[in-house]
Amino acid sequence: MTDLIFTVLFIEAFLLPALIGGGIALGMGIIIMIAARVFFVPVDEKMKKLVNILPGINCGACGYSGCEEYANALRNGETDDAGKCPVGGAATASELAEFLGLEIPDFTPQAAHVFCHGTLQHTSKRFDYSGTVSCAAAHGLFSGPNSCTYGCLGFGDCAQACPYDAIYMADGIAHVDSLKCTACGLCVKTCPKLLIEIIPKHLNTYTVKCKNKWPGAQTRKNCSIGCIGCRMCYKTCRFDAISMDGPLAVIDQEKCTRCGECLDVCPTGTIHNGLMLAPDAENHPRSSGLHLWVDPKIRRKQAETQKNAAKHDE
Amino acid sequence: MKEFLIILFSAILVNNFVLTRFLGLCPFLGVSKNVKTAMGMSYAVIFVMILSTVITWPIFNYILYPQDLAYMQTVIFILVIASLVQITEMFLKKLIPPLYSSLGIFLPLITTNCAILGLTILNIDEGYSFIESIVHAIGAGVGFMLALFLFSGIRAKLDYADVPRMMKGLPIALVSASLIAIAFYGFKDLIEQLFG
Repeated sequence: MTDLIFTVLFIEAFLLPALIGGGIALGMGIIIMIAARVFFVPVDEKMKKLVNILPGINCGACGYSGCEEYANALRNGETDDAGKCPVGGAATASELAEFLGLEIPDFTPQAAHVFCHGTLQHTSKRFDYSGTVSCAAAHGLFSGPNSCTYGCLGFGDCAQACPYDAIYMADGIAHVDSLKCTACGLCVKTCPKLLIEIIPKHLNTYTVKCKNKWPGAQTRKNCSIGCIGCRMCYKTCRFDAISMDGPLAVIDQEKCTRCGECLDVCPTGTIHNGLMLAPDAENHPRSSGLHLWVDPKIRRKQAETQKNAAKHDE
Repeated sequence: MKEFLIILFSAILVNNFVLTRFLGLCPFLGVSKNVKTAMGMSYAVIFVMILSTVITWPIFNYILYPQDLAYMQTVIFILVIASLVQITEMFLKKLIPPLYSSLGIFLPLITTNCAILGLTILNIDEGYSFIESIVHAIGAGVGFMLALFLFSGIRAKLDYADVPRMMKGLPIALVSASLIAIAFYGFKDLIEQLFG
């Protein structure tokens, strides 16, 4: 009798719950197994290899939302341009082209460039800023403490965004170490002043390192190295490479022949030759170029003494 | 109809899952760094909440309760919800890839979240009917979305605030979360005022 009660209890208390629980688990397991078969998505080997070739930082500089998207577009034939990844550079471009059997694109290396050199020596502060150390925050407070409201704030939002440690802060503005820069464009998106642009990586690049849209007099008052819109370079350029965007000269990098004539005529020294290098590079910070920038006053003096010397010789 | 509205609004505002019941705090603090991911997570939560209610309510009422096995609900519910989300993930990956890529990362995160399990158990405890349970699930999901949306907006602002060093990061996030919870306490009498 006790045996019977015990057996019934055993079935009621242990066996039934175990069976039901186990049954549901088994059912779910079988359904998952079937689902895995029915909804099986084959992993594409070609896709895997393409993703492996790409650098995988998902910066979006290629115009797709990430490396995988670009690989997908290449695989599906939506694009046949293998040179869209500036981060991987020429090596990645040729590897991709080789793998897909495409033409090897002529790849121009590019680098980010900060279009401002209003360092602490050239600008002043309108007020003392003691808030959060962030360009975005400082920009929100009366466009930041700098006398030039178009200029670099120097709090280093771009340096923080850079995954390659290529941006460093010196003299109150940001500098890009163009050797480390891969032109991924993450810094371009973070700058609240929109000062950073991606330009061809050429050690003899000429740029108007200024973005201010003030009239000349106001620029002069606030920054001693800003573009005053005098149009001297615009008139000098023989290749139509310089255009005026209001009171600001802009050099078209594609048309520029790097002759350097504009640099000589610029009265404020806003035009800059060469890309920036690391702080430990020679003649830091504005020295990478072939054509070194000299203060216009000194340059004029040098020219005069040379002329005088020539006259003297006669 | 009135009962449904009461259930819906009390789940969204009065008994908000995150701010009043303190369920699902992990995603509330974890994925609220920006509004975009917070919304993605919220859609996934609403989806899984409705799905798990649809499945667990019949299982409890037609299998567990008649067999006197109500005490097994926690184990069975977790098992069912986890495998269900797994199947849904496969389904989405195969048939609706865009939806998979937007919800995909969040789905596995919430399979065994306490908000989901809490919802299914609350449905049983409150004695809701099947339709009422689904309304409750929608309300709970929308409430979660509301809390996450508000909080992620506040956290985006907090990034630019001058916070004392000792309060930076999680401490200030928790303080602001508690302040939102106090604000939601103000909804306490809402239902009685509206429908009472």
